[in-house]
Amino acid sequence: MTLTSDRVEVAADPRQQYEQAMAERWSDGVPLLPATDDAVEAILAASPYPADHALCVLPPRNGVATVELIAINAAMAGVEPAAFGVVLAALEAMSEPEWNAFGLTTTTSSVFPMLVVNGACRDELGIDYRASCMGGAAGRGSMTIGRAVALCLRNIGGQRAGETTKSVFGQPARFGFCFGEWEERSPWPALSVRRGFRADQNVVTVHGGKGTFPLADIHNDDPRDLLYLIAKSLAFPLANPYLGNPENGEVIVAFNPMWAERFGRAFPDVEDLQRYLRAHACQPIDLWPAANAAMLADRGRVDPEGRVHLFERPDQFVPMVCGGLGSLHAIALPSFGESQMQSKAILSKS
Amino acid sequence: MRTHGVYMRPHQSYDAGMSDPATVWVRRPTAAPGGDESAPAFRLDRAVSGLTIGVREDRAWRSWQLIGDIWSEYLRRDGAETITVETGAQVGQPGSDDRKQIDELAAVVDAAVVGLGTCGSCTTFTIKDAVALEEQERPVVAVVCEEFLVHGQNVATHLGHRDLKILVLPYPLEARPDDELRAIADEYYPRMLELLGVAS
Repeated sequence: MTLTSDRVEVAADPRQQYEQAMAERWSDGVPLLPATDDAVEAILAASPYPADHALCVLPPRNGVATVELIAINAAMAGVEPAAFGVVLAALEAMSEPEWNAFGLTTTTSSVFPMLVVNGACRDELGIDYRASCMGGAAGRGSMTIGRAVALCLRNIGGQRAGETTKSVFGQPARFGFCFGEWEERSPWPALSVRRGFRADQNVVTVHGGKGTFPLADIHNDDPRDLLYLIAKSLAFPLANPYLGNPENGEVIVAFNPMWAERFGRAFPDVEDLQRYLRAHACQPIDLWPAANAAMLADRGRVDPEGRVHLFERPDQFVPMVCGGLGSLHAIALPSFGESQMQSKAILSKS
Repeated sequence: MRTHGVYMRPHQSYDAGMSDPATVWVRRPTAAPGGDESAPAFRLDRAVSGLTIGVREDRAWRSWQLIGDIWSEYLRRDGAETITVETGAQVGQPGSDDRKQIDELAAVVDAAVVGLGTCGSCTTFTIKDAVALEEQERPVVAVVCEEFLVHGQNVATHLGHRDLKILVLPYPLEARPDDELRAIADEYYPRMLELLGVAS
């Protein structure tokens, strides 16, 4: 295998390597593994594409993401070769125009790609989907795949805080965010199946999420009451869809397995649950001060009952199941709005 | 310091008699940015009288709607016809409708003013829409607030339109009273015309 990217001599000492990576601006602030030829070649050996294949162009600086460059960043993040296909599929998903990578990598918003994985590869690769799956579980797959995607945006796309990306606050997910669905505990078809894939396929879904928005309750056991409160919580008055177009974007609503079981009994068909969420994810126009209310009215957002819905369609509410068994929490991944979730099958070398 | 692709540690020096410390070779993880070449920019080189000038507003920014409307009024005063389009979406059907609007605008105007870059993604789409007009060989000015100028220039460069004319307005415009915005519109109108290449 012949690698064509630039070779760079660095100190063998890991602390000096860390300093050099910081000086070169390759790092996200955390130490990286050295992308030696051996490490990069091992990853490329597992790639479904040749090293010189240009997978996509990554904004904001429109760098060409060859498979070799992606492999270098994956090696630095510690991605094991078997997991490289997830990184590639995620980047392919992000390069779909409707994901709006140019907008998302440059916005003042905190939004960042959030990766949801379905399929058997979750266990094979250490992708967290049980307790603390969105941070803290420390699965190698979750941590390294998410970080590799973030490093590709940084090093190939040229994303730099305050320069090419204008994100006011950023968010912890900008270090990398990847978790799985606990599909075996879901009362509904897996997210990937609902998005048109076979149940036996490994699939990554990329969501432009603004952050993690925690929800909790211990006072009401009725699933409809609880979902009603979740819907109301999703429709918080400063949510992005109230700024822009209600036709665009999705919110992921992740239920713990215990709540999912409860909701599954009340709504065996997930589309009924989505319709219920859509119906109740609204607020009375009187909630907003005059200036906001006037803008919402001017844009035709107020329905005949004087309510303003968060989204236009039920399918923009994306329920899924993951997390530990603590039966009092859900978590939402709110939408940036101007981004449509994308899914890709994870390919491996045939 | 880098010499022929070799990273020389900047904070250390070695005596001739010292053996080199152990090193390893790694691969550089970065890509060259896009936009090596720049597409041409265009100028009117005539007065606006008798021309049709497009003004692209953004429904997110009331301040820019006011300034855009004032400039449209001044352009009509100076003998031009104006067409104002309002955008506000980046994806989905609303985004497709907006981009179609820009394409249609490019087909009927002699020049255009496109704003407003006053957030990250709205600057990106201001520049993208301005580039779409410039690709139809229309003189165009992208209007960007000072805080987002570098970002706007980066986007233009990486889209291959480094020479795109960008008019810089003060930042922030939002939350200013209308009389201040009118003053800004008055102050920057001549500069906008100058960037379009308007001859008196």
